[in-house]
Amino acid sequence: MNFETKEFAESEIVLINLPTRVAAEISEELKKFIKELVERKNYKLVMNLSQTNFMDSSGLGALVSKIAVTRSNQGDVRLANPREYIRNLLELTHLDQIIKIYPSVKEAVNSFEVKS
Amino acid sequence: MRLAEEASQFHYLQPDYDRPLLEIPAELEQKVKIKLKQLYGEEACEKWYPELARICKVYYAYKSPQMISWDQKFDSSNRFDQQDVILITYGDLIHQEGEMPLHTMREVCHRYFHDVFNTLHILPFYPYSSDRGFAVMDFEEVDPHLGTWEDILDLKREFKLMFDGVLNHVSSKNKWFQEFLNQNPAYLDFFTVFSTRETISPDHLKLIVRPRTSDILSTYSTLNGKRMVWTTFSADQIDLNFNNPEVLIKMVEILLTYIRRGADMIRLDAVTYLWEELGTSCAHLEQNHIAIQLFRDILDLVAPHVALITETNVPHQDNIKYFGDGSNEAQMVYNFALPPLVLHAFQNADASILTAWASNLPPISNQATYFNFLDSHDGIGVMAVKDILSPQEIEKMALRVLEHGGYISYKDNGDGTKSPYELNITWYSAINNEDAEESQELQINRYIASRSVALVLIGVPGIYFHGLLGSKNDAELVIEQESTRSINRKNIDKAELIKALENPASTTAQVTHDLMQLIKIRIKEKAFHPNAPQRVLNLSRHLFSLLRISTDGDEQILTILNITAEEQSIKISLPYHQLSFGRCIDLINHREYVVRDMSLEIAFKPYQVIWLKYRTEYENG
Repeated sequence: MNFETKEFAESEIVLINLPTRVAAEISEELKKFIKELVERKNYKLVMNLSQTNFMDSSGLGALVSKIAVTRSNQGDVRLANPREYIRNLLELTHLDQIIKIYPSVKEAVNSFEVKS
Repeated sequence: MRLAEEASQFHYLQPDYDRPLLEIPAELEQKVKIKLKQLYGEEACEKWYPELARICKVYYAYKSPQMISWDQKFDSSNRFDQQDVILITYGDLIHQEGEMPLHTMREVCHRYFHDVFNTLHILPFYPYSSDRGFAVMDFEEVDPHLGTWEDILDLKREFKLMFDGVLNHVSSKNKWFQEFLNQNPAYLDFFTVFSTRETISPDHLKLIVRPRTSDILSTYSTLNGKRMVWTTFSADQIDLNFNNPEVLIKMVEILLTYIRRGADMIRLDAVTYLWEELGTSCAHLEQNHIAIQLFRDILDLVAPHVALITETNVPHQDNIKYFGDGSNEAQMVYNFALPPLVLHAFQNADASILTAWASNLPPISNQATYFNFLDSHDGIGVMAVKDILSPQEIEKMALRVLEHGGYISYKDNGDGTKSPYELNITWYSAINNEDAEESQELQINRYIASRSVALVLIGVPGIYFHGLLGSKNDAELVIEQESTRSINRKNIDKAELIKALENPASTTAQVTHDLMQLIKIRIKEKAFHPNAPQRVLNLSRHLFSLLRISTDGDEQILTILNITAEEQSIKISLPYHQLSFGRCIDLINHREYVVRDMSLEIAFKPYQVIWLKYRTEYENG
């Protein structure tokens, strides 16, 4: 599966538009995709969740599969526009405490430009 | 083991008052009264001491003459030895259709583990309403879904048993709390109650140390209207009010019931939060220590063979205060700093901090020692390393846990901020990344290497059942049960377990086999006696090494562990490290090493563990 992305060359941010369902059938591919991005030194990642209405534990795992590497390279993995179901999942797993979540892609992308 | 078997027959089902009653020595009476006065004042002491004495006499009347005689001969300085290895499990961790789980547990433990582990810690097996047993509805019954007291005694025929004393709180369904809701005058003071939230000032609220992010007060409707009760852990777990002497005495009675039912060790759960006093942190207050000392006085009198173990996920220096002076509080303390420090060492391929910490780990006494665990039913607590690792290092470790498919639980700091409290992940998944492109053999070696630390360090080792099996995360269960701790709490089908254990190609079989091999070596060696001195050697940041010397000085074992995925080699100058001279044997691979030029040269494979045994006969030979 190809994940739709957009690169913001000037700020080195990569936006990944996630599909409606992020679960076992694509989680491995998503992990691999993120791994390759990180290997190409893309450390600032925004996951656009606006279309995602289902996610399982493997999907959650994929989102954070490179979070330590990105942060240790002055980057991060940030989430944009998660629906209520995904928000609840993030809350339940306490991931909302560690991942920065923004109401829109624009705010998530801009957040990298603000010292946080 | 024989002692455990005998002890199971050492209590009568009914007290025998035809025999002489317990005589409480005047010295012990004084010790207990001093503590009651410290906790509750002179008047309450005079009022409640007779009840405490009565409870002790009742317990004593249950003891058979054999038990009384056995306890009289009990040598507390030899309470623990190298054969003590504790398997931690839920009573229903293994299940088989149509069989009671405690019976299933006994069968599996008998068939696979009884010659390796001599003690079973069965996590709370009482009827409960939440938190997988830690919200106890009835302290004195076995959960009928698990089995009966007879099943517990059956387990005791082969194992010493550790029970949980969940004494900080009760379930909201517990009859004491139900009677409080009914506003029965006898129970009004069993809980810490407020009529309004404002009774606690914001300044006081800030001071309170919290292990959770939930509200400290929970509202319940009672016969006389709404009341707010103190709930350290969750709304379903109502803290008992130990400011009320009756609560303390009830708990003594329950602990003695557990001993009658077969407990050899009692884990004092969440004892950090026993005593609440506004204006303080409400965590590990001096009163907690006095209460434990009082429990210890009573057990020393009526059941000296029973050990108390404190579970306090707090900074290391506060944690080890629960040893008291080494003879008057806990006989074992959960060594909470160990898991995060071992994890840190393996994550960073650098044992420097682990080595420095272990170098400063004091021996406690010949009656008390550390309980060395790496995993348990809870997560990997990080509070104990708050003053050992920097916040950045803790955060980095936590992020790595997320990358390995785990989760992080937070605590409320009282100032609006939150910080990691524990890492929720199985030990196998914490040590290994399932996505890493590396062999199963390397991952298993890394895992066994990490586990070996708890087997060699001064103290008694404990292994959680999923740790013994090398279980990986069960992240789906987290979502299903809405608890990040569920990642390490999966129940296992007996047939599947047996299939895995008997398939030599499975990770389960290999991990279990390799780990049990190490334990089988450990339990034969007196240099691994919990009281045997240890000296940590700083050989290299890539190696973790310590020397254990048997208490009689006859035997020494030098343990060295390569904590990296690379081969390592080292030339150890024996005079520099003040080591013995002579030939030595690696107890694991049976290879002999010979000293040349007063040095020992060793080449290590990735994650290799070497236990070199020196013998006096070698020196003389």
